[in-house]
Amino acid sequence: MNRAADHVALQFDDAGQQAQAATLGMWAFLATEVLFFGPLFAAYLATRLHHPDAWAEASGHTDVLLGTIETVVLLTSSLTVALALRAGQLGRPRRSAALLGATVALGLAFLVLHGFEYLHEWQEGLVPVLRFGYDGPHAHGVELFYYLYYIMTGLHAVHVLVGIGVLGTMAVLAWRGRVGCGYDTPLELAGLYWHLVDIVWIFLYPMFYLVGRA
Amino acid sequence: MTERHVPPLRHYLLVWAGLVLLALTTAGSAYVPMGAFNTVVNFAIAAAKALLVMAFFMHLRQADALRRIFAGAGFFWLALLLGLMLTDLLVR
Repeated sequence: MNRAADHVALQFDDAGQQAQAATLGMWAFLATEVLFFGPLFAAYLATRLHHPDAWAEASGHTDVLLGTIETVVLLTSSLTVALALRAGQLGRPRRSAALLGATVALGLAFLVLHGFEYLHEWQEGLVPVLRFGYDGPHAHGVELFYYLYYIMTGLHAVHVLVGIGVLGTMAVLAWRGRVGCGYDTPLELAGLYWHLVDIVWIFLYPMFYLVGRA
Repeated sequence: MTERHVPPLRHYLLVWAGLVLLALTTAGSAYVPMGAFNTVVNFAIAAAKALLVMAFFMHLRQADALRRIFAGAGFFWLALLLGLMLTDLLVR
């Protein structure tokens, strides 16, 4: 069983201070992630204000059922990763590993479902630059919608993939008892990253799937 | 300091249930004709979900002020970016 006291670096008074520094550092990184996605949200805002009719029309061609399922999948994955950290805090590394495995599975499910969406949109000719065959008075605005859709959900999917890698590594470490048994900082930081990825999707979902549905 | 107090399982499950409920609500409300108010509702629900995740899953509820400031900094900047953009875009 790893004890927090075994891992204290030279510059810290104790394990608690080290853990707090680690968490603050992670939150600083998450702030840079907001900086990363932020300008895309700004681009969305500006473009949507300029093309309100096209926006509703374009959103109608997204798969709202798949999008909703993906949202619930990611929300559940946030639960499992939070419970994985809790299991670690309770000194149950194997249970933590299982919950991390569940989180990875849900993340993969999200990517697979999203892949199906991309496939359907490819077949319907809704991929700007590569395969865009949409016609009509609002075609230009629709194309802009899908530019943003692919860039924002694509960037998000890359983050999900990275998160899967990190959480998968955590799962292996937890299974071997290297983490999740008195030393939970890596678990906590990985969890924070995953929750932010979930939060980004929480906003992407209504932005792309729920415009002008009524 | 990582929290010594471990929240009960019930709390996590309740938060998750609330999140799923909000997700289904936002999906359903999208089909109710409310004009521009649909967007307001969707954004408000999304913000509520994000706050639930941040407060309970990311443990900000038990965190000290410094951690909350770090957590809020990025979003505060984003609010400035989007807010100041709107002051321009909405009056063109």
